[in-house]
Amino acid sequence: MLMCRDLAMIASDYIDGELGTAGKLSVKMHLMMCGNCRTFIGNLRASTELMKAHTSGTVDEEFVRRIDERVAEALEAKERGKGNT
Amino acid sequence: MTDTDDPDENTLISRMKSGDQQSYHEAVRAYSPGMLAVARFYLDRSSAEDIVQDCWVTVIDAIQTFEGRSGLKTWLHRIVANRCKNRLRSAKREVPMDFSDGLDPDLDSRFNASGRWEIPPKLRFDESADTLMENGALSDCLDKHLSALPETQRSALMLYEAHQHKSDDVCNILDVSASNLRVLLHRARQKIFLMVETFQETGEC
Ligand SMILES: [Zn+2]
Repeated sequence: MLMCRDLAMIASDYIDGELGTAGKLSVKMHLMMCGNCRTFIGNLRASTELMKAHTSGTVDEEFVRRIDERVAEALEAKERGKGNT
Repeated sequence: MTDTDDPDENTLISRMKSGDQQSYHEAVRAYSPGMLAVARFYLDRSSAEDIVQDCWVTVIDAIQTFEGRSGLKTWLHRIVANRCKNRLRSAKREVPMDFSDGLDPDLDSRFNASGRWEIPPKLRFDESADTLMENGALSDCLDKHLSALPETQRSALMLYEAHQHKSDDVCNILDVSASNLRVLLHRARQKIFLMVETFQETGEC
């Protein structure tokens, strides 16, 4: 029988759909009987969503600006190179 | 011609091929955070930033031969990964990795000897991610904990979740096996779960 601790070990695999049919079934059976694990899986999923929402908007402006400058220089150098040949 | 599925991406690629500066500006904004996540898996912060900068300069020429079979993002991430691997090879360094199994010790300690919850999760996180993110303190706390994660876990999490790569791509870019990727992802998610739980309960980071 799958215990709560076993479920916690494979919780990400369950969330990502990486478990085989038997594994998925035993997690589902456990979740039907165990409110704590339902909360755990829900919260693990929610905190992952939160992390995703948090990081997908983050851009380090200073870093991007430095790259922009270098790319612009390289593009100009390339243009000049074309002009000379 | 390129043949990615995304018409916007195809347009961007042809503009880059023609040397349009604005197109590079857009691409740099869109793709650099992911490229940095890849580089951070292999290298310290400042070397990683250098590598990403250097990669963009090589992209100006390399884009001419890009055929779009893999999608621009995956292509860029692979360029970064290969550069990092070369750098490590020449320095004879290896990426330190912790694949020690399964549960985070702070979560493991919440089960009793028979494998049942001793200290179960108390609250349901039932607000939507967008609502929660309006909370500045929570956002700061996430930043703090994300930067405290081991590089390998953070990069795996970023590429898989934030940059939505498929598992195969992440394994390829980070040079880890599928089962090791699963461990890295699960370890990282547990840490974020524990952090959010503490924050929800106490209001403190
Ligand atoms: Zn349970």
